[in-house]
Amino acid sequence: MIMVIGGAFQGKKTYAKQWIADESRWADGADCTWQDLYSCGAVDHFHLFVKRFLEDPKLDTLPEKLAEKNPGLVLVSDELGYGVVPVESKDRAWREKTGRICTRLAAQSEEVHRVICGVGVVIKHA
Amino acid sequence: MFQVVTGGSGSGKSAYAEEQILSMGKARRIYIATMFPFDQESFARIERHRVMRAEKQFDTIECYTGLKEIIIPEHANVLLECMSNLTANEMFQESGAKENTVLAICEGIQALLRQADNLVVVTNEIFSDGIVYEQETRTYQNYLGAMNQYMAGIADTVTEVVYGIPLTIKSGRNV
Repeated sequence: MIMVIGGAFQGKKTYAKQWIADESRWADGADCTWQDLYSCGAVDHFHLFVKRFLEDPKLDTLPEKLAEKNPGLVLVSDELGYGVVPVESKDRAWREKTGRICTRLAAQSEEVHRVICGVGVVIKHA
Repeated sequence: MFQVVTGGSGSGKSAYAEEQILSMGKARRIYIATMFPFDQESFARIERHRVMRAEKQFDTIECYTGLKEIIIPEHANVLLECMSNLTANEMFQESGAKENTVLAICEGIQALLRQADNLVVVTNEIFSDGIVYEQETRTYQNYLGAMNQYMAGIADTVTEVVYGIPLTIKSGRNV
């Protein structure tokens, strides 16, 4: 698994297309299903998938399941944790959950790239 | 040695900071807890961190304000978590230093450095969401930013933890 993370609007998907260029192999966390996650080549906006299924207990086993069922996946997610603590408790829960899951996904990934201004910095290469 | 560990929310920085203390050997481990428990969510968070410290033989000292008065046992490795709570406590709590927050905490860090064999401080990146908050929150960001810069200036190492991956921001001497 390859993870591409970073702030919003940094060119993460464009960067990740070096591995999966074919648009039909991309899923979008904003609307994809669990099955899509397990079968697609790459997923964009993973943080929105976490938001949609925030209360779903299946999220808690997702990192290990993804590594097992879709080990070649390229996963793109916004990093959410770099702001002031949100006022709404649901927003706090979302950014906390995204951080916890992405930390475990990073542990499962062979490579983690962090994109800033369209430039990818390799922060993990197993 | 003085290590600063920073990162975003949910980035794994607490776990990393604990590992640093554990890697320093069997000397006495002191955990300085700063989160004032005011609601269910903070109780839950405190409990989560308490579980992480279980079996790791940390003695916990609670310190919400007035860090410079703290007394630490000799030859201890100290983990302070976290600067963002401490800064908020000094600003907003009745017993806090209010507009003298930055100076008060800087003196507190100096007091810890005089007493501890090694010090690890966890802080927080809360500066990059592009939102302009009301004055009180901006003052808080300003104070925490000043604390981070002060600590990084005198620290031996500064590490940013990104989803559990440690990135070296400053490495002043061989560790």
